[in-house]
Amino acid sequence: MSLDTRTTPRVAGSSPAARGPRRRLHTMNVVSRYSFVLPAVVFLIVFMVYPLVYTVNLSLFDVNAGNFLSGGAPFVGLENYADFIGSPQFVPSLVITLVFTVGSLIFQHAIGFMFALFFNRGFPLSGLLRALMLVVWVMPAVVSASLWRWIFSGSYGLFNAFLGVFGISSTEPWLVNPNTALAAVIIANIWLGIPFHMMLLYAGLQGVPVQLYEAAQIDGASAWQRFWRITVPMMRPVIVIALLLGFVHTFKVFDLIYVMTAGGPAGATNVLSIEVYKLSFEYFRFGDGAAAANILLIIPLLLSILYLWLRRREDSTQ
Amino acid sequence: MSMSSRSVTETEAMVVVRTGRRRRPLNSERPKWHLTAVAIIVVGAYLFPLYWLASTSLKSPEQLFTSPPTWVPFPLEWSNYATAVFENPLMMRALGNSLIISVGATLLTLVLAAPAAYGLARLRLRWTALLMLPFLIAQLLPAINVALPMFTLFSQWGLVNSYVGLILANAVGTLPFAVIVLRPFYLTIPGELEEAAAVDGATRFQAFFRIVLPLVRPGLVTVAVFAFVMAWGEFVFGLTLTTEREMQPVTVTLNSFIGQYGTEWGPLMAASTVVAIPLIIVFVVFQRYITSGLAAGSVKD
Repeated sequence: MSLDTRTTPRVAGSSPAARGPRRRLHTMNVVSRYSFVLPAVVFLIVFMVYPLVYTVNLSLFDVNAGNFLSGGAPFVGLENYADFIGSPQFVPSLVITLVFTVGSLIFQHAIGFMFALFFNRGFPLSGLLRALMLVVWVMPAVVSASLWRWIFSGSYGLFNAFLGVFGISSTEPWLVNPNTALAAVIIANIWLGIPFHMMLLYAGLQGVPVQLYEAAQIDGASAWQRFWRITVPMMRPVIVIALLLGFVHTFKVFDLIYVMTAGGPAGATNVLSIEVYKLSFEYFRFGDGAAAANILLIIPLLLSILYLWLRRREDSTQ
Repeated sequence: MSMSSRSVTETEAMVVVRTGRRRRPLNSERPKWHLTAVAIIVVGAYLFPLYWLASTSLKSPEQLFTSPPTWVPFPLEWSNYATAVFENPLMMRALGNSLIISVGATLLTLVLAAPAAYGLARLRLRWTALLMLPFLIAQLLPAINVALPMFTLFSQWGLVNSYVGLILANAVGTLPFAVIVLRPFYLTIPGELEEAAAVDGATRFQAFFRIVLPLVRPGLVTVAVFAFVMAWGEFVFGLTLTTEREMQPVTVTLNSFIGQYGTEWGPLMAASTVVAIPLIIVFVVFQRYITSGLAAGSVKD
């Protein structure tokens, strides 16, 4: 291995003649620097990149329960993709995924922003209270999902009791009714996502110079004006990244929905990731599942490219 | 929440590292206790569902099915915990499985991420950008996209229903995150330190292990905590890469429990609470350490 080049210690006192040794030291450093990165990169190539490439391969064959171990699945070209896009599940599933993602994101971000601004005002115990909110963030999704199942249950559910406070008498079993299940799942997901947006935005707020607000206040700007004229423009990169990452993360949500409704009732919460799971692990149609998985990947992939491009631009302006 | 929202941007990590200490609040002479009062109410309302989780786990069926709800359970019904967890061998086994998988994934993540983040912090910029790419993209992948091919590959490699398989799969989720969070910690350490060590005759690896690694200890702890939290809560790999109930992580067992117990909310919430408790303990114990660790990184900036 290349590591050996570095294991010979430099002999003390062999003072280097100007250029030669320094160059050698430099090249050896580069080699050993790469050797630090190598194990992790190899790991990701074997366990992430290869599986992803393998999915593309899978998607071109009619792989199913009968032949996925024995091999010999017939090549079907792009048929699996055409089948999935043409299936009655595809369009509703895409729409549900987008409604879930956008519906969650708007409220997560807006509420997270309010919390961030509030905590940024600085008051006794604000650090402790802000940290406490992160407890929601460390909760396993399955735990949150089972809790929200209980909250949204019919006659004795907390959500209906909460509505009762506002004089709305309801015994609606929210997750059983196809008309309300998606809204209920979105509400649960909003709750989960608030700390993520709050953290990102709070960190961003620390980068806005206090002097700007002081100057604006002297000039008589209202709090509302200060928010739209200073906070939002100054926070634009953070806002964009929070929304972009939030979108990608929400678009792929599986565990919360799977545990709360498993895509039901009557397909009301059947997001794309659940459809991929059903095709592959319930119907054992791995070829179809792989094609669906790649379609699920396209939107986050495009957004990731946008994200990387924004990062680059941000880096180069720093 | 899913590991989804746990990922951070490097920018964010940098911001946190740089601004670890609180900035002096805007135009404040006196502490604003009235804001604290508002915050306690708002945060309390936000966290109320967690109180509901814990309190439900201590309710008897008579206290559960009341309208309006029983806000404070009395007397406490501890039997839910016995029924759902301590006298349930499958649940106990699953807790053990999750512990093995989470600790394994955390160690693997540290072993791979600590040198990788260091290498990436010391590389030339152009190559860094290229090498960072797979780590950044990995954070954005839907877990099911990795789980599906992994299941077919692991079936061929004999890694389905094995701790090794689940540890490897979990590390795919945690490693990219760890590298991205750790790199800024290394960036705060001046390269002169290693150069001085080299002059003293240390190899680059000796310098890394003896000098650099101890300095990024807060970063390593942070990464370990996050890796453990992510692996403990992981669901998709556990669901897809196990077919035997005995090998399932506790998140998957909890899910099948929901189907089995239906509306017996007392035992269900007891089981859910038990799954959440290790993370709450980790969170409480390391909360200070994480913030002080992040702040310590900023001292050298």
